[in-house]
Amino acid sequence: MSAVLAPRRRELIRAAAERSLTRRRLTGRIAQGLCAVAAVAAVAPLVTLLYYTISRGAGALSWGFLVNAPTPPTISGGGISTAIVGSAEIVGLALVLAIPTSLLAALFLFERSGRLAAALRFSADVLTGVPSIIIGISAYTLLVLPLRQFGNLAAAFALAVLMLPIMIRADEEAMRTIALDLWEAGIALGARRGRVARSVVLRGALPDLVTGNLLAIARAVGETAPLLFTLATPLAAMTLLIYTDGTQAFPVAQQTAWGTALVLLGFVLLLSVAAKIAAWRISQRAR
Amino acid sequence: MIPDAALGLPGGVDPGSHVRRALAGRRTRAGEPAYMALRWAGAGLFGALVIALLVSIAGGSGQALVHSGIGFLWSATWNPAAGQYGAGILVVGTLLTTAVAMVIVVPIGLGTAAFLSELAPSWLAAPLSTLIGLLAAVPSIVVGLWGLIVLTPIFANQVEPFLASMPVLGWLFRGEAYGPSILLASVVLAVMTLPTMVALSRTALAAVPVADREAALALGATRWQAVRRAVIPAARSGIQAAVTLAVGRAMGESIAVAMVIGNRPAIPASLTAPGATLGSAIVNQFAEASPGIGTSSVIALGFVLLILTVAVNAGGQALLRRGHGTAVSTAGALR
Amino acid sequence: MITLTSVRGWNGGGRRRTALAALGLIGVVAACGTTSTPTATRSASAAASSCASNTVLSATCDVVTPSAVTLSGAGANSIEPFFETVFYQYSQKNPNTTINYSPAGSSVGVTDIQQATVAFGDSEIPMTSAQLAAATGGTILQIPVDLGGVAISYNVPGAPANLKLDGPTLAGIFDGTITNWDSPQIASVSGVSNLPNLAIKPVHRADASGPGYDLDQYLIDTAPAWVSAIGTSTPSRTWPLATVGIGEQLNTGVATYVSQTGGSVGYVEYGYALQNGFVNAALLDAAGAYVAPTEASIALAGAQATSLSPTNFNVVNEAGSGTYPLANFSWTLVYQKQSKTTTGIALGKLLDWVVTTGQQDAAALGYAPLPANVASLAQTTIRELESSAGTPLFTS
Repeated sequence: MSAVLAPRRRELIRAAAERSLTRRRLTGRIAQGLCAVAAVAAVAPLVTLLYYTISRGAGALSWGFLVNAPTPPTISGGGISTAIVGSAEIVGLALVLAIPTSLLAALFLFERSGRLAAALRFSADVLTGVPSIIIGISAYTLLVLPLRQFGNLAAAFALAVLMLPIMIRADEEAMRTIALDLWEAGIALGARRGRVARSVVLRGALPDLVTGNLLAIARAVGETAPLLFTLATPLAAMTLLIYTDGTQAFPVAQQTAWGTALVLLGFVLLLSVAAKIAAWRISQRAR
Repeated sequence: MIPDAALGLPGGVDPGSHVRRALAGRRTRAGEPAYMALRWAGAGLFGALVIALLVSIAGGSGQALVHSGIGFLWSATWNPAAGQYGAGILVVGTLLTTAVAMVIVVPIGLGTAAFLSELAPSWLAAPLSTLIGLLAAVPSIVVGLWGLIVLTPIFANQVEPFLASMPVLGWLFRGEAYGPSILLASVVLAVMTLPTMVALSRTALAAVPVADREAALALGATRWQAVRRAVIPAARSGIQAAVTLAVGRAMGESIAVAMVIGNRPAIPASLTAPGATLGSAIVNQFAEASPGIGTSSVIALGFVLLILTVAVNAGGQALLRRGHGTAVSTAGALR
Repeated sequence: MITLTSVRGWNGGGRRRTALAALGLIGVVAACGTTSTPTATRSASAAASSCASNTVLSATCDVVTPSAVTLSGAGANSIEPFFETVFYQYSQKNPNTTINYSPAGSSVGVTDIQQATVAFGDSEIPMTSAQLAAATGGTILQIPVDLGGVAISYNVPGAPANLKLDGPTLAGIFDGTITNWDSPQIASVSGVSNLPNLAIKPVHRADASGPGYDLDQYLIDTAPAWVSAIGTSTPSRTWPLATVGIGEQLNTGVATYVSQTGGSVGYVEYGYALQNGFVNAALLDAAGAYVAPTEASIALAGAQATSLSPTNFNVVNEAGSGTYPLANFSWTLVYQKQSKTTTGIALGKLLDWVVTTGQQDAAALGYAPLPANVASLAQTTIRELESSAGTPLFTS
């Protein structure tokens, strides 16, 4: 049989190919259209939410709002200073516990292999998904009851436990991606492990470490459930304040809640931007 | 080029001698035990915290599990006033809200990710991605409050009656339209988990090598066919990781769900009926349960929730490990 | 612990203001001591010195405490409108005392005081003997601090205010047997025949509550159908029929739902109904009249409690004309033995102020001032506070 097809067959095949192309193009256009619709469907509620938050909360924002202590809704001039300070204290304490522990644990996982490391890594992976309310209950049982006291310490503990698995895995990933070769080189040249860890690994992976930790921190700042079981008053944290004032009948209280939501969002944004700039600066200098 | 200082070597000295000394003598490795100890401390502290978490939850549930036995898991009555504690209804509620939320999130999230990663013009993709990333930072309490104040009346007055009036699917949404319901809770969960799904899926899609796309195009595929047949399958493990994380987050959400689910401890008759989940029951009952069997039962609910989420997470992680061809950083958009 | 809350902890403005206020106070006391007539000087310095001993409870001495103390409390959500105003006023007068109150619910107050994680708890229902026995720190004193009522609020467009409802009708609404506002039973009881054809959407408290307990008690007393529906004749804080209608958290959650949903009806503390401008039902009282919740009708109900005590606390469905059927006292729970004397003194003075001077604001907020006999019961109980050694903290 000849390798060259008869003209008639060629025509048939070309026509079939064109039909197929038209059909496939049409399907493709429809599918792309659906994807665009999906994108709109994804963005729309989120944008509505953001818009609602801004419209209800912007009126509350003022310098006084940030620095004044709270007052009952019937008395004007109140602010959310205790909540801002409280949230900052709790997150700060949590970071003091979480950052060194996560860095050291990540170095442990990075440098060692074996069953213990694998088990820890698996626990960290799985624990990234633990519901925050469970961590709150745990903190209540472990700290509040024995110490007979609610307070920032128990809340900070809960947030630290929340952040640790995420930070450890993010740190280890960053180290493996960026610094593995450098670490091996350093060790091969006979440098002390501690030295290599400090000067090579941490320094080299710093931008990614910062970004990864930042995500964990942003999540912790926005959590409410762990604080429910560990704090003495809703005035001690911004998320709790949003929760409790948001359903009050007084318009002032509701506006305070949404204003606090804006402050919280702004806080997280600032944190992200600052950390990204810091990471960029450090990576520039290291070059 | 690693400078000498980084290696602990003073400048201008024959490196060979130092290496010899490093390998032979213990003095140059002084300080090593300190570092090893620190490393063990970090890992040990983390391990201790994990164990403390598990012990406090398992221990706290002990009394309830002994009292009610394994039947606690599926006993259909949760009526603390009458002394009846059983998690069955709550497990059903948790799984139902999560499932409906995923029905919403997975197609929309994947479609959006495909749009952003493959199909959108670059002037649109970048700002849109940033916007979605920003919205991932919205605290869940704000989403819950918005659901309570804004969505509830809309659902009670417009959405739920409309859905109930649809010809065939209306059967799913029959019944009195209260507003707070399984459906509303699922929608709120969907809004909360969508940014995670989009971000992680997008990373997964973007990580597929360009060569795969080009190969498909070279074989005559249209743009969409390339995406559907070459890119998405290659990103499958990353997408699975995204879904796993979204499911885990949806199952564990407690306060926002309690605000919009109607808190009815019964198997919902339809999607527009009020219901209850493990998370919402814990929020409502924990602080008020009578010490002893009451509190223990609520912690036992937490234990059940923990097991569920751990199982889902472990399964997802296993799937991810299997398909580790694409380099997806789970830490990338963890929420 | 918090769980669900509205917020208030008054610290009188921070440490700097505390220092300034302390200086000011010293200055004022010093000035009073030195100027004016001998009798005025004697009484002023007598007052100052009697307050300085910290063993006297009186209107002037209640706002003078020896040192800076933080008092943490948790408990009833229903008393929150009263507490937040009263605590704020107190801390304005006495910057030494910082008060944190977490209105997470009566049961939270009980649990927290049992575990001694707070200085004081508050509950709409006094503790049972079993709960008292489970307290870890010894004997608990229960002090009545306010008198409030539970409103049945409804959102029915076109319905008149103060719709007349009786026990059996309410029971039918909350157990799901009456499903529409235009039902004949509601028409015959209320006397209103043109209520709209609107589905009834009952909302109850998803968390345990005092108002729920009161309504449960009222329905048990007046509606046999309710008793058979719930299977018991003992009222409970946790709403017994959670499978009918929907459950929302706290008074604020119920209020939000009622305010936004047509056809809804729910129970809230009267103070919250007042804040929201709700329309409330007039309930059938024991004397056969339909009474709407007002400060006067709640006060009349409270006045029937001639021999009030933590074991005889029920003022639901009282006899007497004009009494609102759903009234109750709120009880503050403190340990009799205070391990820290300064805390005990601050606590005693705060509570004494709340049950005397603080009652002036009750009416405006939706509560009724304590009847005289209840106020004196409260003051007597406060004076039972002891130091850790067992000596009474206050002599008068």
